[in-house]
Amino acid sequence: MFDFLVSALTFASLYGLMALGLNLQAGYGGLLNFGHIAFAGLGAYATGIAVQAGYSPWLGMAFGVLLAMALGGCVARLGRKLASDYWGIATLAIAEILRVVATNEGWLTGGAQGIGAIPRLFDGVGFLVMMLVLLGIATLLCQRLADGRFGRALRLMREEPQLAACMGYDLTSLKSRAIMASAALTAIAGSLYAHFMSYVGPDYLLASETFLLWTMLMIGGLSNLRGVLLGVLLVQAAYSLVPFAKDYLGFDSDLAGALRLGLIGAILLACLMWRSEGLIPEKVRKIA
Amino acid sequence: MPFKFRSMLISTSMFFTLATAAPFASAADAVQMGAVLSLTGANATVGEDVRRAVKLAEDKVNADGGVLGKPFQVLVEDSGGNPTTAINAARKLVSVDKVPVVIGEYSSGISIPMGQYLVKEGVVHINIASTSVKIRDLGSSSFNLIGLEDKGNKFSSQDAWDLGFRNVAVLAPNNAYGQGVAHGFRAEFEKLGGRIVNETLYTAGQSTYRRELQQIARSKPDAYIYTAYGQESAVINREALELGLREQPWYAILLSMSLSDTPANIAQGQLGMEVGSFVGPTGKAYADAFAAKYKEGMKTSYTGYAYDAVLMAAKAIEKAGNTEPAAVQAALKELGKGYDGVTGTVAFDDGRQRLDPPYAKLKYDGGKVVPR
Amino acid sequence: MLQFLIDTLLRATDLALIAFGLSLVYGLVKFPNIAHVQYAMLGAYLTFGLGAAGVPLPLALLLAALLVGALTLVLQRLVFQRLLKSGPAIAMIGSLAIAMLLVALLQGSAGTFPRMFELPLKAPILLGDARITHTQLYFFATTLVLLAAFTVALFHTRLGRAMRALAGNPALANASGLHAARITLMVTFASGSIAGLGGGLLALSTGAHINLGHDLLLPVFAAAILGGLGNPMGAVAGALLIAFTETLVTNLNFGWLVGREMAFLPVSYISGAAFLILLLALLFKPYGLFDREVRRV
Repeated sequence: MFDFLVSALTFASLYGLMALGLNLQAGYGGLLNFGHIAFAGLGAYATGIAVQAGYSPWLGMAFGVLLAMALGGCVARLGRKLASDYWGIATLAIAEILRVVATNEGWLTGGAQGIGAIPRLFDGVGFLVMMLVLLGIATLLCQRLADGRFGRALRLMREEPQLAACMGYDLTSLKSRAIMASAALTAIAGSLYAHFMSYVGPDYLLASETFLLWTMLMIGGLSNLRGVLLGVLLVQAAYSLVPFAKDYLGFDSDLAGALRLGLIGAILLACLMWRSEGLIPEKVRKIA
Repeated sequence: MPFKFRSMLISTSMFFTLATAAPFASAADAVQMGAVLSLTGANATVGEDVRRAVKLAEDKVNADGGVLGKPFQVLVEDSGGNPTTAINAARKLVSVDKVPVVIGEYSSGISIPMGQYLVKEGVVHINIASTSVKIRDLGSSSFNLIGLEDKGNKFSSQDAWDLGFRNVAVLAPNNAYGQGVAHGFRAEFEKLGGRIVNETLYTAGQSTYRRELQQIARSKPDAYIYTAYGQESAVINREALELGLREQPWYAILLSMSLSDTPANIAQGQLGMEVGSFVGPTGKAYADAFAAKYKEGMKTSYTGYAYDAVLMAAKAIEKAGNTEPAAVQAALKELGKGYDGVTGTVAFDDGRQRLDPPYAKLKYDGGKVVPR
Repeated sequence: MLQFLIDTLLRATDLALIAFGLSLVYGLVKFPNIAHVQYAMLGAYLTFGLGAAGVPLPLALLLAALLVGALTLVLQRLVFQRLLKSGPAIAMIGSLAIAMLLVALLQGSAGTFPRMFELPLKAPILLGDARITHTQLYFFATTLVLLAAFTVALFHTRLGRAMRALAGNPALANASGLHAARITLMVTFASGSIAGLGGGLLALSTGAHINLGHDLLLPVFAAAILGGLGNPMGAVAGALLIAFTETLVTNLNFGWLVGREMAFLPVSYISGAAFLILLLALLFKPYGLFDREVRRV
């Protein structure tokens, strides 16, 4: 049981890092990125390819971060012209293109079989401790960012873009920096995910993974760090709970798959309907 | 601050509820084993079909008196079609339910990481459907019941050659299974001197495959070697007939799986091979029992392996006298010297791989799959 | 050549009705409804269910479409209207939740295996070198008729004009006396029914299966975005463009480039090609190819 909890918490912290990254874009910046998983995927694959070629895992992670930031920059430039809904689908398309490339270019990515035998780095509790430390650092950094000029500028851009422009903020540059910072953080998380699973495959880049991150963000509360972490914990708990609920309620296993999907959907819907700001709403300081 | 603390408390206490509830949740006095299958996701057809076989096997064991005098239960968990959920499921089975044996999965991309985890925990793993050659190296507590793709591809390429095909087109799904089959078949067929004039990996989930089929047809092959499953197989077969591509022979790797949802009039005349999904009188009895319980036949070729795996695991636990993984592993090894399963005689070599996995040459005639 | 054209048209037909419905309602509700493709899946299963119960096929298609339309209406009233108050992003995630619930419901009740329709096997119609089956012709003709009817309705009836006015400028439309809520509900019903019908017709070829909605998500959204969200005819054009790209990519012989007799792009890049076209189009025309959205000054 302990082992199970440790692993569940490790997954939660990995997703937590990715969700913090998404929060930088979506929560503070109001940018609807539906291809966010591409950043994590780049981190994971960079690690996998580097390790397979014999390089150090840290080099792989660094390379992944660079790639993700480059992609983030491109995506931001794309966003210069596109309205938010269009940009959202465009980012989804980019993630999908990356997934198709990953599935097909077997010589680079191992194709649909993926890349295996990626070293674990630490085992069990060690990995969890590392993740919790990283999560703590990331939370602190995001908090500093949010409370500082950059964060305030982002939120202003989100609420009143014209006012932000009038006040002299370069909106494009703000968006770029937010997306690139988010990309870097998410790529690190993706890289560690590949280490934890000892495996990377094209399924990491599925659209449903981004939707999962958005679910965590929405349930917990956008642009609120505690909310994000809470959302991650809750969704992870729900996923982990379903097999036990199935055993407890005596559901036949052919309903189990449907039950998992349905439970997450129901929780998400309930949270959205009755606490649409998320369980921990953002505290916007009122002008006295 | 207080609100955040309260919410954090709620979520962490949810975790601890799992810790205490779980032992009460599972049936207190039964012998259990685990199965991780894709009940959702792209390969749900395979997962659901295999689940039926598992249930049938569980019923048989209980009908024969259970294991160690207690009822026998197979805990089936969903892999969600991705390795993360699969490993989570395996983890639950191992560290919470404490099962000695776990069978699964289907996709090699899932079986391999999951198998590695199970071996690391010392739990017995039985592979029932993945055919990647990497399965061989999983570890000392991993057993394999199905012929891996090197054997399968050797068989099918030899069969295709013997049928007189020399320049063929290959069509397979663009996933771990299909990529393995396509590349493996190519390697073996070219060794025999044949030529692959076109290799197409189709993307599952499309509404039509006309574009792919047209492209293949242009290369004018002697025969079409293909493998498919689920809803796509029906669409591909129908569109191949409609586009006039059936004037050349169509050879299916895993024939009954590729034809599972295709109407008889379209499937007529196809040739193919099969991992022996049920062999001999034992196999026939199994097929009849399956059809009787579920009112339809098997949709994939893997059900027999799952059935054998569950029965063998139950027998191994009985033989070991307890549910310690190490003891069960030893008992399974003993059992594997010769066991009469529905997929034929099961015998393991020193590497716990199946010796002489059964393959069959078949064709589709008069509404069903028959031997050639 | 003719086969190329037919393949393009047929693929476009698979997408057209559903993309049309998506874009139609987007103009009014202003959020991308991820559950829309699941309405198509629901329509497919309902058509199968009704057909299996003995209802003749055309009637089954119609009934299924109407039932799906009714459900869409209920969802709009109970769920989306409420979520929209918090913004389009929340509504979009809400539609994701609804999509999950729909899939879970159908998987739980109908099971995981695909349900194939038992249609009589007739020889395909030969048009020169090209072949087309009766079912495909039926689907194509129905789609064409429906689209024509809707175009007429949109541009030549009062309701159509009212709908377009509402999509363009809701405040002004409301002030001019158009009953915004009622029109929105009617259009919602229509879009849901079209999606259900599209799904049912599609299922005649592919069978009703659990992943039907999910597999349509990206191509349908790409088609709708290409045409400009809120521009239903544009969505149909988008579907045509996507179908064209997909068919072109697999039919173009690059043999001359690489010095072989035959060299094609791997078909596994079909969807990648479609998305690439989408991105390129958006780079040059950020509001879709047929830029008709009225933007705030």
